[in-house]
Amino acid sequence: MKLMHTKLPDFLKKAVAAGKKINPDTQVTIEGFESMKSAKLASLRVGRIEDEIVELTSQNPKIKRIEIQMIPRVAETINTVIIKGIEEDGSCPKAIMDTMFLTVPGEEVYLEGVGEVSDRRAPLD
Amino acid sequence: MKLKYRIIERGVADGLVPFPLVFIDKKDVEACGLTYLEAFQKIADEYKDDCMAADIIDMNAVTVSSDGIMGDAAVVAFASLDHGKINKDFGFINVSEIPYYPEIVKDEPHMKQWELDGFVGKRLYRGPNMEDRGFRNVHNENMTMTGRIANNNTGSEMMNLVEMTEILVPCFGMNQIMKDGDVLVGIAGAEISVGIGMVVREKLGRIFNWSYGAGQTAHNSAKYAKTVKSDYPAIVAPKPVHAEHVLKALDAGLVVGRDLGCSPVNLAIAHAGGYEIDLDNITERAWIELESVGCSKDELSKPSPKMSREEIIAKADEILPGIPTAKLYKASEIVTKKELEV
Repeated sequence: MKLMHTKLPDFLKKAVAAGKKINPDTQVTIEGFESMKSAKLASLRVGRIEDEIVELTSQNPKIKRIEIQMIPRVAETINTVIIKGIEEDGSCPKAIMDTMFLTVPGEEVYLEGVGEVSDRRAPLD
Repeated sequence: MKLKYRIIERGVADGLVPFPLVFIDKKDVEACGLTYLEAFQKIADEYKDDCMAADIIDMNAVTVSSDGIMGDAAVVAFASLDHGKINKDFGFINVSEIPYYPEIVKDEPHMKQWELDGFVGKRLYRGPNMEDRGFRNVHNENMTMTGRIANNNTGSEMMNLVEMTEILVPCFGMNQIMKDGDVLVGIAGAEISVGIGMVVREKLGRIFNWSYGAGQTAHNSAKYAKTVKSDYPAIVAPKPVHAEHVLKALDAGLVVGRDLGCSPVNLAIAHAGGYEIDLDNITERAWIELESVGCSKDELSKPSPKMSREEIIAKADEILPGIPTAKLYKASEIVTKKELEV
């Protein structure tokens, strides 16, 4: 099942391509992945996002820009913080790991003023 | 029908309140035949251009402060409201009643207060249970989240996540708001910051649960504990009112540091009145935090002035540390009572 997961750079390219599929002049901005150097994304979800980008642009020819924002589904997250001390030669004799609890603004902030929201997220239960 | 509610508007108390806070009496929700969530949604619908934290309070129930002191008025539901929205998964929490069982005093000694006149027989609410918490994970706090607003620690620590502001409304302050009493409003300061971490061990606590007991510090952050909440505004009960709550627990024979949390306020009142303090059960880590706000083992080991209950209440503003620059307000000066058609 080698197609089960998509490389992060491939997803970013696919999202931009999907945004420009109907109109090559459509701008595409993607936020929320900046801190990730590499990741694998569920391919079925990547496909859904691509289709949904195309759906938005094809349904409304006035659209000039697609904005994609990824935020945590649960606004309060538990994260690992890795602190490394690096020597001149690049070696790291010691690192410390600790926990960071983080609460970020929820989806309502990003959806304010939006006419219609089609919520297609998988249910949590 | 009209739903009555209280609102503390943004900017009141010399600008210290960073965003609106709504408090609703449970009986007023029931009088309208609404569920708690429906009542919150009615409020959200009324304020479609603003965001706020909201609590529903049962005035005939009891709850417990983080340092183990029982008081009237318990949060039975809390929510985060933002521009008419309540997040369907995380914007609301119901708080289930904790049933009485005879062994609760053995498991949680501070719950002896539940057997005292004025408290006995009343419904108890502290924190939500696992079912109440819904899809929240074990690491999530007792927090509701919608858009900008997080309403944490069972409706007592409210945040705006965009403006990154925050305000504390401890349970005795909430009771004063609901009773139209007086409140102190000011910047929390170092002593409250330290005191919040001096908890008691309890199941389904409003903030903490079983990990830390009396004499320990849940903050466990040494000299930094005094800075955790020190810069945030707080709405609390006047010190004489707070002292009465603590004295009731002390008069019942509960011991600070063993049965009750070793917060600076609990320690100060116990020492002033000559009540037993379990100094040896207070951990070294807790002493570091206490001493950082001038509450030392040496000072507490000195002979007590053995003040009477009446003297302590009369001199509470001098005896109880914390919230040093606060101003005393009548609730009516900061709280607006409103109602909306439902």
